[in-house]
Amino acid sequence: MMLEIVNISKRYKKGSEEFIALENVSLEIEKGDYMAVTGASGAGKSTLLYAIGGLIHPDSGEVLYKGRDIYKQKSKVTDEYRKKHVGFMFQQFHLMPYLTVLDNIRLACYEKHKLDTINNYIDKCSLTGLKNKYSSELSVGEKQRTAFIRAIISNPDILLADEPTGNLDPGNSTILMSLVEDFHKNGGTVVLVSHDPLAAKYANRIITLEKGRIVL
Amino acid sequence: MNPLKLVIKELLYRKISSIVILFTVVVASSVSVAIYTLSKASENETRKIMREQGLNLYIFPKGTNLIDFYSINNTGTFPDKYVDVLAESKTFDAVRHLTGILQIKYPDWKDSNGSTHQIVLFGYKDEAQQKYLPEQELMGFDVKKGTVQVGALIAKNIKPEAPFIITGADGKQYNFKVDKRMEEGRGMMDQGVSFNLEDLQQVLGMQGKINKIEALGCVCKDGRIKNARKQVQAIFSDLEVTEISSIADARENQRVMMNKYGAFIIPFIIISCLLITGLLFYQNVNARKREIGLLKAMGTSSYTILFMILFKAFIFGLAGGIIGFFKGSWVAEYFGKEIFMFTALSIKPVWSIFYYIIIIFPVLLMLSSWIPALIATRIDAAKILSQE
Repeated sequence: MMLEIVNISKRYKKGSEEFIALENVSLEIEKGDYMAVTGASGAGKSTLLYAIGGLIHPDSGEVLYKGRDIYKQKSKVTDEYRKKHVGFMFQQFHLMPYLTVLDNIRLACYEKHKLDTINNYIDKCSLTGLKNKYSSELSVGEKQRTAFIRAIISNPDILLADEPTGNLDPGNSTILMSLVEDFHKNGGTVVLVSHDPLAAKYANRIITLEKGRIVL
Repeated sequence: MNPLKLVIKELLYRKISSIVILFTVVVASSVSVAIYTLSKASENETRKIMREQGLNLYIFPKGTNLIDFYSINNTGTFPDKYVDVLAESKTFDAVRHLTGILQIKYPDWKDSNGSTHQIVLFGYKDEAQQKYLPEQELMGFDVKKGTVQVGALIAKNIKPEAPFIITGADGKQYNFKVDKRMEEGRGMMDQGVSFNLEDLQQVLGMQGKINKIEALGCVCKDGRIKNARKQVQAIFSDLEVTEISSIADARENQRVMMNKYGAFIIPFIIISCLLITGLLFYQNVNARKREIGLLKAMGTSSYTILFMILFKAFIFGLAGGIIGFFKGSWVAEYFGKEIFMFTALSIKPVWSIFYYIIIIFPVLLMLSSWIPALIATRIDAAKILSQE
């Protein structure tokens, strides 16, 4: 088992109110899975995704990566987990405004021999002529494709995508989802949070969250 | 990508923010350097003025009545070796520029016309360099053996190229080459003749004797004169110290003014710089929350994020410090020329503070960015990155 989520719960406080983001959520993710997480806003989808990604420490329960709880390791180990085993994609792309397309991708490169690989991905994602452009000069589709390459360039075990098509038009959504699908077909594991039925269409597993619980 | 490269790229991208921080540091460092350089110039100026006015401490045989000293010749003497003993003492540091002097009134000097005049003879021992203190530029008279320097009134009574002739205590006539004819307006010196001490001692038959040491008193925490007296009397209980207060006060006032600069203005400017740059760094961290969150999501450790922000502060501190040093030195030079008459041309960058500047300002900037840097390490990446 690559990833095992065991009974995780997470609550937030907003003033005097307590808000349940996740409650006793358990699931298993095998290598090569493509899992879509759906649900209404506030159902806990993003919290689950970031908990898997090592960014939200659950109040209780365990997130086991290859049998070891990522939250019970030293922070250095958790950092390494995010660096080498996880790739993130976000709805807002989060490209560094002062870096070119090439440098934004390089940001996630931890090995020097990656330039050929980067160029291959750039060609594949139709960004060839844009690699020296800054994010302010890119369309939203180009930005998200750059963010996609950045997420997978270090060849992570899991791609965690938080509403990756949320800001894209249907055409760009289709292009992006086919790129994610290619990553999956090449053995990558994908956990995707989305409202978009098109995005969920590619998944081989769909779970639905409601008030922090898996209902489907 | 190398975190340092990322910092440089971010600095170049956020030009206005970078320029504002750099400008703040440059202002703080240039003002500090300018004040320091001007203070040094001011100190040199005072020293030059002091030099013009003479030494401010007189050391006499104990019990000397100064009225007698200036009017009649019955003051006590002491060995000129005392000067060397004081100069070689490890504990004697309240007084500088020790010059042993034999000062005697000579009531019946005859000029070339045979007229008799009362004149004052000064015999100067070479200024003693204090063995255990840093060397300083000499302030005392330097009269070569076999020569004299004559005051303006006496010079009028000696024909050009003619020697100065004086009858010694042994009844012999002594001839000295006139090395310098001083300009008038030097008070008692106008009717005086300055000798090398050994020459005058021979003329007067007072070998090995002096009756005064002139010196420059330092400014010490527990009082200038008190400290000088204590130190002199610890070595020679038969001597006492008198201060020429107008000169000493001028020097004291100058020092106090410089201390005020040092103790208030420079720290005020530096603290203001720290607060402003601290706020600017905080603002910068706030504006970059998403970037910092992204770095965390990509596995960048909190230590690396802390290091990146401190490195940025270091660059600003170093660059601002260096630019400020040259700018401040230029300002001091430019305005100093207008202010300082004697030392105008010698106002130069004080290189000894350059090394402090390139250490102090980077350290200060890193301190000012410390809290923003800690805030950056605590950014909740999940919360920031999931915001629409």
